[in-house]
Amino acid sequence: MTAAVDDRLWSAIGDPTRRRLLYLLLACGPSTATGLSAQVPVTRQAVTKHLVVLDRAGLVRSASAGRERRYEVDAAQLARAAAQLNSVGAAWDARLQRIKRLAEAIQRSKR
Amino acid sequence: MDHGSIEREIRIDAAPEVVFDVVSNPEHVEQWWPDGARYDPTPGSTGEIVFTTPSGERAPTGFEVVDAIPPRRFAFRWTQPPGEPARADNSFLVIFELTPAGDGTLLRMTETGFRERGWDDAKVAAEHADHVSGWDHFLPRLTAYLGRLGARR
Repeated sequence: MTAAVDDRLWSAIGDPTRRRLLYLLLACGPSTATGLSAQVPVTRQAVTKHLVVLDRAGLVRSASAGRERRYEVDAAQLARAAAQLNSVGAAWDARLQRIKRLAEAIQRSKR
Repeated sequence: MDHGSIEREIRIDAAPEVVFDVVSNPEHVEQWWPDGARYDPTPGSTGEIVFTTPSGERAPTGFEVVDAIPPRRFAFRWTQPPGEPARADNSFLVIFELTPAGDGTLLRMTETGFRERGWDDAKVAAEHADHVSGWDHFLPRLTAYLGRLGARR
């Protein structure tokens, strides 16, 4: 059921820039807002805001590294997000199969 | 392009009139989806659908009919709090489109609204974002990544 999907996770992962940041962290390993901002077309301040959203959703973890924070992907939470994305599609597949069975049964009873 | 959408298509051996009734009439909807459905299947009508949680509690969610054009199209918004008007940022939009196919029906379902939820200042940044960072690009990589993680364990 779609309503059970975690809103915070959805909105965190629903944004293209945040997905890009997740990629970069997955592909290149842990990094800071400064390091990441060199690779996306937004300012370091905007990157920081996005990282805070990802952090709140639990998708990344951060640790102090000198004057900045160093971010890395939280694999367990990302796996949960992927499972939820798949489950929404799977839920609709199941509903559509039930629609099909029901409509076909009604049609047969009419013939 | 909306990356936060789900699209499905299914061929059904029943006339479009029958399929339309199944996807729009609350009595039928209860058979394939929620535990309870209370709404009038006409455009603009609001009501609710009810799910039962695993712990046995009643969990109602808002339901608003957007379009009802028999036997071609039925659209609604859901997940808004019951009694509240449906908006782009508090609900999902589901559209059923029916096309005759031989003596059956091709049913196409689209659900959108994921991207708009909790949409904030990120919108400005999103407009500059690279188009390749959409779901179509993201999901296969995510799946591959998770596969690698699984393989390491």
